[in-house]
Amino acid sequence: MRGMRNSGPETPVSSFDGSTVGAAPGDPIVRLFESIRPELLRFAHWLARDRAIAEDIVQETLLRAWRSRDALKDQTAARAWLLTIVRREHARLYERKRLELVPLEDGIEPEGMPSPPGPDSELDSLRGAILQLPLEYREPLIMQVLGGFSTAEIAQELSLSSTAVLTRLFRARNKLRAMYGLTPAPDDSASEGTL
Amino acid sequence: MNHREARLLIGGDPDFVPPELAEHLASCPECAQFQREMIVLDANIRRALEHPPAGADRTNEAPTTRAAGGAPVQTTDAGIVASVTANAAPVASTTAGPPAAVAPVTPPSAKVTPISDGRGRQHKRTTLWPGWALAASILVGAFATLAIWTLHPTDTLAHDVVAHIQHEPKSWASSQQVSPEALDEILRKAGVTLDANSDKVMYARTCPFRGHKVPHLVVSTSRGPVTVLVLRYESVKARESFHEDGMTGVITPAPHGSIAVLAKGNENIDEVAEQVQKSVRWLPESH
Repeated sequence: MRGMRNSGPETPVSSFDGSTVGAAPGDPIVRLFESIRPELLRFAHWLARDRAIAEDIVQETLLRAWRSRDALKDQTAARAWLLTIVRREHARLYERKRLELVPLEDGIEPEGMPSPPGPDSELDSLRGAILQLPLEYREPLIMQVLGGFSTAEIAQELSLSSTAVLTRLFRARNKLRAMYGLTPAPDDSASEGTL
Repeated sequence: MNHREARLLIGGDPDFVPPELAEHLASCPECAQFQREMIVLDANIRRALEHPPAGADRTNEAPTTRAAGGAPVQTTDAGIVASVTANAAPVASTTAGPPAAVAPVTPPSAKVTPISDGRGRQHKRTTLWPGWALAASILVGAFATLAIWTLHPTDTLAHDVVAHIQHEPKSWASSQQVSPEALDEILRKAGVTLDANSDKVMYARTCPFRGHKVPHLVVSTSRGPVTVLVLRYESVKARESFHEDGMTGVITPAPHGSIAVLAKGNENIDEVAEQVQKSVRWLPESH
């Protein structure tokens, strides 16, 4: 957490945006946040599809979380709380600035591609297919599968009805089914609100 | 419930089967088949998402050094200093220059690959490389990947176990005892039984893991709740301990596959893990 460095046990530190935050060394909340950081980065990366942007999102998330740490009453809820902030930071990024979009193959440098152990081209293909899902489908899918959010929680976070969330999740998986050579289920729901 | 409603529910969450859907599935082989396919697909989606799409792991493995006071510091390609912990010691960069009090932040927009020069720069860099250097780097990379995979296969298993458990955070907080009948059914599907009081099992579910269904239990112990995954299809050569994402875990070889035991925190759980693992009995008729 770049904004959480300190110069003394009780000394406030200056964060990158000019505000002041304090972090005691070995603070349990800092250790807790750091333990979740890799997961936040993975979550942000799947949302943003760009490692550098994901790092910025996570950095901003941890800073915001540190500032609002008093609001975290139950530390077992930290993971969901931080993931929610990540999602909102990602959404805020799109509100602040409409990002320049590039073809996927241009945005991912070949030497930067991770090599999961073993030959697993099927999973790699699936990763590619997930990345190509429109954000409106990719976001709830990542929230559900990677974040562990329930349909109701996703609906609340995205300001959608539960039926709309189910529809988006259904469509996301249906698109991935097609990639697997399975027959996609008929999608005859005219809108997300119909069941 | 009609077919469309059933498939919408299945597609929305393949693992969630409300009573009305179960009733429909019992009488509709097409939708039941659709559900089976979706469960398999969902297991693969889960596996796919457990790795970052590109390079996030590399960020975590960025060159790390230690500042004078012991503060771990990471540097990124851009030379930005990132302290990974809020530490009392002043941090220093591995790059030239004095320690910065405030880390600079590159605006997110600046890190988006430009349309115009991204492809061109990539192409130019590739063509400037001599052929032998490219071949050598591929060979070295292949050997490195093979070596890592061969020497540390269970690292990935431990990571996947932790990632799976993180997907079900509510399992830790479960306070309702699992009925003996439900527990027995879940365990028998996996070809095992548990020599422990069923009132100690607070959570039991059959979960998709690496393309198979495995029992996921949370058992109440003197050490607190511990999670047990019976991994029939995941073999390990030797016992392995690990710490990841705030959890301590042990994976040990079993007569069929392996057993993973995890607890929250960093305390030693060897004794508890041994007790739990001894209590798992593999049924003779196991397949």
